[in-house]
Amino acid sequence: MPRTIEFTDTEFMIAQGARLIEDGKTIFVGWGIPQVVAMLAQKLYVPNVTQLFEFGAIGPQSVLPFVRGTMGGPQNTYRSLQWLNMNWAFSYSATGYMDYGMLGALQVDPYGNINSTHLGGTFASPTRRFAGSGGGNQVASHCWKTIIVIKHEGRRFVPKVDFLTSPGYLDGPGAREKAGLPRGTGPHRVVTSKALFGFEETSRKMILLSVLRGLSAEEVVRDMAFRPLLAPEIGEIPPPTDDELRVLREEIDPARFIIRGEKMSATA
Amino acid sequence: MTIERIRTEGEVEYRFTHPDDFREHVRDRKGRSPVPKLVTAKEAVAAFVSDGDYIVYDFSSLTRGPQSLIREVIRQRRKELWIGAEFTLHESPLLVGAGCATRIDVGFLGYGNYIGQAVCDGRVKAYEWTNGGLALRILAGARGVPFLPTRDLLGSDNMKVSAAKTITDPFTGDPVCLVPALNPDVAFLHVHQADEFGNARIFGTNLFALEAALASFRVIVSAEEIVETDEFRKDPMRTTVPYFLVDAVVHAPFGAYPGAMPARYEIDLEHVDRLNAIRTDEQMGKYLEENIHSVADHDEFLDRRVGAKRMRELRRRATIVEGYR
Repeated sequence: MPRTIEFTDTEFMIAQGARLIEDGKTIFVGWGIPQVVAMLAQKLYVPNVTQLFEFGAIGPQSVLPFVRGTMGGPQNTYRSLQWLNMNWAFSYSATGYMDYGMLGALQVDPYGNINSTHLGGTFASPTRRFAGSGGGNQVASHCWKTIIVIKHEGRRFVPKVDFLTSPGYLDGPGAREKAGLPRGTGPHRVVTSKALFGFEETSRKMILLSVLRGLSAEEVVRDMAFRPLLAPEIGEIPPPTDDELRVLREEIDPARFIIRGEKMSATA
Repeated sequence: MTIERIRTEGEVEYRFTHPDDFREHVRDRKGRSPVPKLVTAKEAVAAFVSDGDYIVYDFSSLTRGPQSLIREVIRQRRKELWIGAEFTLHESPLLVGAGCATRIDVGFLGYGNYIGQAVCDGRVKAYEWTNGGLALRILAGARGVPFLPTRDLLGSDNMKVSAAKTITDPFTGDPVCLVPALNPDVAFLHVHQADEFGNARIFGTNLFALEAALASFRVIVSAEEIVETDEFRKDPMRTTVPYFLVDAVVHAPFGAYPGAMPARYEIDLEHVDRLNAIRTDEQMGKYLEENIHSVADHDEFLDRRVGAKRMRELRRRATIVEGYR
């Protein structure tokens, strides 16, 4: 009998993000959900990944559980290879040593441009105001491949971001280089709580690659405020595994501050 | 070769000091003689923080932040402050909620609805330099140059709401972003150890502790522990800031509370939750009254609002000590 797995949308997003991280590579990790994704990956899949944080921790092996909100505490600087500061941390990304960057976002557009500054209104008089770039702009500018982790809510996927905080492919092919951003960089994947997107090579537009097992492509794109490209064959992403859920629930976030969310289920 | 042209520039106000003006301040106003500088937080803030000042601080709200100094600024009701907000979760909402800060260079604006609403209401102006951009501005200030180039901010809307400029780089011919030097009026650093002259040590990572100390007109160090100068001479690799950059030293055990001090004490998450829950002016006023205005100073705050039992517990929880010594 096929077994049904129950999980939250957040748990699925974190788990599929963790599976994307390549062992033996470097990854610049942003604040919040990306920290949790990196912890899960380190614990289960990629013992030889080197994480880097903007406050100057090079290669820490984070202590679990995750202390929500923390960035630079002893838990997420533990057993680093090197302790530095911000200007040095961004030197590692600016010179091309960071293979991946991983960032959260409030909004994302078809070119993978990220908004984390405000929603609605104008910059001077926004409807809702959020934290802003932090180091996200540097991560998205410098890292070879940026992974964006975002809840799959239609209103977050917009034709044009309200504020362009961190650059994707700006307004299309060649635009990053024309703006003076480092050559050959840009968004690589968008990990959501329902699906996985990439960016089509020639148009640099977001393309649906695969969906959570049991969902259809149409269900996934239906409520997005723009229509992404669809890969010729849409892949299927298995739900979180028992191991992923155990580590998330028992070791990383026993208080369930981060991993709570909308209840989902899928066949294991 | 043609002179590089400005391609784009933001048109917002920004803090800038000509490098020669800063050098002359250093020549004329910064003492080189190792004299004792131990003062109370009240004296340090009274002497070195004025209305209208630009303030930066290191590190974060949850780790090694200069929280006791921030509370003293609020207690002394400074006005019209401009802050460089990086790794700030609570400093910016508290300083804005207390009526102290009116301009913020972001960085990271802060955590929660209160500070976001304050921006929406126009009670505080925000400018977007990003974390890396602000850190680079302070590095430029610390290097005594008027600007530094960088290959980020480019193509983003931050360019329009900061005073960063894009020019044609005379070496590559490509566009490059320039950020102006930042020389803050005051830097607050909370450190593990300092001597009475201002030599200071941080164990662990930092944002821009040395850069901020070099770039700022005045530097206030608060320290968990006061040690002998000989400690620095025995292990000079560990010195974060030498004494002649520092104007005042404040002995402040639990100075990072409710945040953590690595290897000394852990975060008080219950207290942090109370900060995170502040949404209205009424809640903000209540918090400020209870934790800042109704107590005379940091010692009384620890004694009457935190308590010895709580502090013992937070010290006991700081079990990660590897690397911090």
